[in-house]
Amino acid sequence: MCGITGYIGTEATGRIVHQGLKNLEYRGYDSAGIALTGDTLRIYKTKGEVDELPVPSQANVTCGIGHTRWSTHGEPTEENAHPHTDCTGDVAVVHNGIIENYDALKDDLRADHVFRSETDTEVIPHLIETHLADDVSLLTAVQRTTGQLEGSYAIAVTAAGHDGIVVAREDSPLLLGHSDDATFIGSDATAFIEHTDRVTYLETGDIAHLTEENIAIYNDGNRVERDTETLEWDADAAGKSGYDHYMLKEIHEQPRALRQALSGRIDELATGVDLDVDLPAEYLHSVEEIQIIACGTSYHAGLFAKELLEAHADVRVSVHVASEYEFNGGRDPWRTLVLAITQSGETADTLSALREASHAGARTLALTNTLGSTVTREADDTIFIRAGPEIGVAATKTFVSQVATATLFCVYLGQLRNAMPSKTATDLLADLRALPGAVQQVLDQEPHIKATAHEYADSDAFFYIGRAAGYPVALESALKLKEISYDHAEGFPSGELKHGPLALVTPNTPVIALLTNETRAEKTLNNVKEVKSRGAPVIGVSSDPAITSHVDTVFAIPDCGQMGPVVANVALQLFAYHVADRKDRAIDKPRNLAKSVTVE
Amino acid sequence: MKAVVLAAGKGKRLWPLTENRPKPMVPVANRPILEHLVDGLDAAGVSEIVLVVGSNRERVQSHFGDGQEWDLDISYVIQEQQLGTGHALLQAESHVGESFIALNGDRIIDAELISQIWEQHQATRDVVMGVTRVDEPSRYGVVELDGQDVVGIEEHPIPALAKSDLINAGVYAFTPDIFAAIRRTNSHGEQALTDTLAELMDSRRIRAVHYRGMWLDVSEPWDLLDVNDSLIAYQGPPDDEPATVDDSAIVAEAAILGDGVVVHPQAAVLRGVTLGDNVSVGPGVILENAVILSDVTLKAGAVVTDCIVGANTVIGPNTTVEGGTTDVVLDDAIYRDVTFGGLLGDNVDVGGNVTVEPGTVVGNDATIDSAAVISGRIDDDSHVMRG
Repeated sequence: MCGITGYIGTEATGRIVHQGLKNLEYRGYDSAGIALTGDTLRIYKTKGEVDELPVPSQANVTCGIGHTRWSTHGEPTEENAHPHTDCTGDVAVVHNGIIENYDALKDDLRADHVFRSETDTEVIPHLIETHLADDVSLLTAVQRTTGQLEGSYAIAVTAAGHDGIVVAREDSPLLLGHSDDATFIGSDATAFIEHTDRVTYLETGDIAHLTEENIAIYNDGNRVERDTETLEWDADAAGKSGYDHYMLKEIHEQPRALRQALSGRIDELATGVDLDVDLPAEYLHSVEEIQIIACGTSYHAGLFAKELLEAHADVRVSVHVASEYEFNGGRDPWRTLVLAITQSGETADTLSALREASHAGARTLALTNTLGSTVTREADDTIFIRAGPEIGVAATKTFVSQVATATLFCVYLGQLRNAMPSKTATDLLADLRALPGAVQQVLDQEPHIKATAHEYADSDAFFYIGRAAGYPVALESALKLKEISYDHAEGFPSGELKHGPLALVTPNTPVIALLTNETRAEKTLNNVKEVKSRGAPVIGVSSDPAITSHVDTVFAIPDCGQMGPVVANVALQLFAYHVADRKDRAIDKPRNLAKSVTVE
Repeated sequence: MKAVVLAAGKGKRLWPLTENRPKPMVPVANRPILEHLVDGLDAAGVSEIVLVVGSNRERVQSHFGDGQEWDLDISYVIQEQQLGTGHALLQAESHVGESFIALNGDRIIDAELISQIWEQHQATRDVVMGVTRVDEPSRYGVVELDGQDVVGIEEHPIPALAKSDLINAGVYAFTPDIFAAIRRTNSHGEQALTDTLAELMDSRRIRAVHYRGMWLDVSEPWDLLDVNDSLIAYQGPPDDEPATVDDSAIVAEAAILGDGVVVHPQAAVLRGVTLGDNVSVGPGVILENAVILSDVTLKAGAVVTDCIVGANTVIGPNTTVEGGTTDVVLDDAIYRDVTFGGLLGDNVDVGGNVTVEPGTVVGNDATIDSAAVISGRIDDDSHVMRG
């Protein structure tokens, strides 16, 4: 997972590429670098964040590429930072993805070439150098080089004495931005969103030659045309709007994000859902199993969706961590729908699982936030969660939007399969409708949640327990805390505690219990008693005022029916945020993590 | 042109609406007061706005973001404690390097006033203050003029002693040396901007720009209804209707309906009504002269007249807010013959068949049982039982 950017046009490039890297920093931030090409090639690199990289000030250079890195091959050092160069120092390459056969290529090249880094990437400039020695154009050299590479990659190449930039895409995301007198390169549109909203998504196998005047795209050696689209997102997310962190800004954006997710999709007069699903109704009717594939927070949203779909849509559901997914077990691909949940639409593990499912013959449906992302092109159909751009590495508003959109899908499917009584549909839709207001009520309680977070910030560990839909939220809330505070946090099904994890519980390990309606709270209360008798402090999240007598602290949330656990999650997002903030953690850029993981 | 907007005011008199949001974020004609003001600033040619925010500032920040939606550059400074308008303005000092417009964030004004003040300031470099004529000047800072110069300001004078019917409109143009002047002002706990201006009058000219156009202030809850009505009339009917309305329901042309609103069969949404986002109007509901905030649910047969309903509140079936004219006691002051059916706070749960008598104010998160008859002031988190 890394971020690529680039620029060719008429203005001084250093500042533009540097800003592009700043914008992409959420994709990786352990080292960064820029290459500027004119008559000569100049490289600027740093170990650390983009801010530590000086802004190149060469005014007359109007062509350059940049890279911000999240380490996979080799530690975050200046040598391993991109751009990488060949032996002559004339060819510079930035790369996102993985070159699977780099070991073999490196062995072949080692006799005539000197390698300076431990990265897989460095084979690319040396291969290009070899081809350029045959006196071919940079484009041809890159075309020949990609023929030798195996794996997934997006690369941008520039070379002293050669006109323009050559980019190539194999699976890893890459797009071009067009303004009146310049072309931009980005791993995603945030790289250049303040300059233009007109973009071209490159497809797998595309190689494009960008010059000041012209863009030529080739696939398999043939010239191809790709559409230019106008993005609907604006650059609003570029700033923190007075909040200390993007994460806090995004937590507070949730009522609005939820309204967007639901807007125009609930037909309340007819008690129905309008989701624009193109998969044939007869097929959805006949589906025997839905397999959900996802990673991280999206996986937790998948577990939540399973609770609803199995209860209300009369369909068997299994949820798979995407990296562990295989299509097996004698399933009938004609009767299996595979639902891929990925915020970015670029998650390599999820895409790989999706391809496995497609290959087996199953139909696929994507639930994503990102228009034009790879998953939208590879899945048979897509539902968007409409949460708007999310910059904080810890997912917040996209989780609640994923769950809300999955709930709409559940009502759609349940009604289509004649499995859902109108009362159930009405209740679910009423719960969804109440969700934005309920989330706002939780946000209004931030001072109380903050005070509680400060009180418990120095605990040894945090355990989250819940049942039914409270269980995925326990997992998600624990993930939030560990991601940003670096504390040990774990979620358990409440009943599972006594089968082992109870041994971890001490007076210095607060237990957070999800006690919302319709999550068998009365049973979880028994487990609360178990931990209290071991001296652990308990925070209860509930809409029942009577809960006060059972727990040490209450996060009181409004009753929101089946959506209660989502509302509880918002309270626990704030809790995690304030624990981490108390400890001065780098909340928007937690160590070792990146926003969307495009390596397997 | 740069503007500093003081948006940290608590607005206690609009209780309970101002517990969860600062006064500038209270909506009229379906948009926060401050957004109407921002539109005015935009139209007057302001490109950069500094918002001084305080308690509940998240509401302001989440709504306006960085100003991209308005094509404006919006930034924020925080006033941690409410120590007066002068203190609030001082917080913005590091954001201002040259002449600027300063104004209160809880009044709605036309772009024209801002333009006139700015022109006057550009021509003279003097401090310029907008003044306007109102019916009850003693509610505000009454201004005494000598020609075009301000020679006196008196806050809330006894009505009989008011020197004129002109008041300080709360819009100014300053050069950055106003900050030094504020610091020089003798403060007794609170630093009021008008105290600084009163001192400044002895040594410098303060020019008045007399303005006769739109100047709307929301001081008391019922002002919300009047200002809402005025703005609906001023803006004309909305262009698009993002709401779902059943064919058998009636929606007045001038009503404003937010995104995701649903109006069920046989409901009537009559004059002077705005419905926030995601409001559900049940079958047979009748609404007239009402400001309904977002996420409110009105169940079948409810009648709501001359009333303000806070966000996320539920009003049960056949509940009646009858509306009409009454005498209201608010903060120990008595207001006679005001048209005010009532004000329900955020997250209130009102049961069925409840009667809300005119002038009732219900705090946030209260629960009113079915068939209760309520009046007067009901505190936050109260539970009103029947009988």
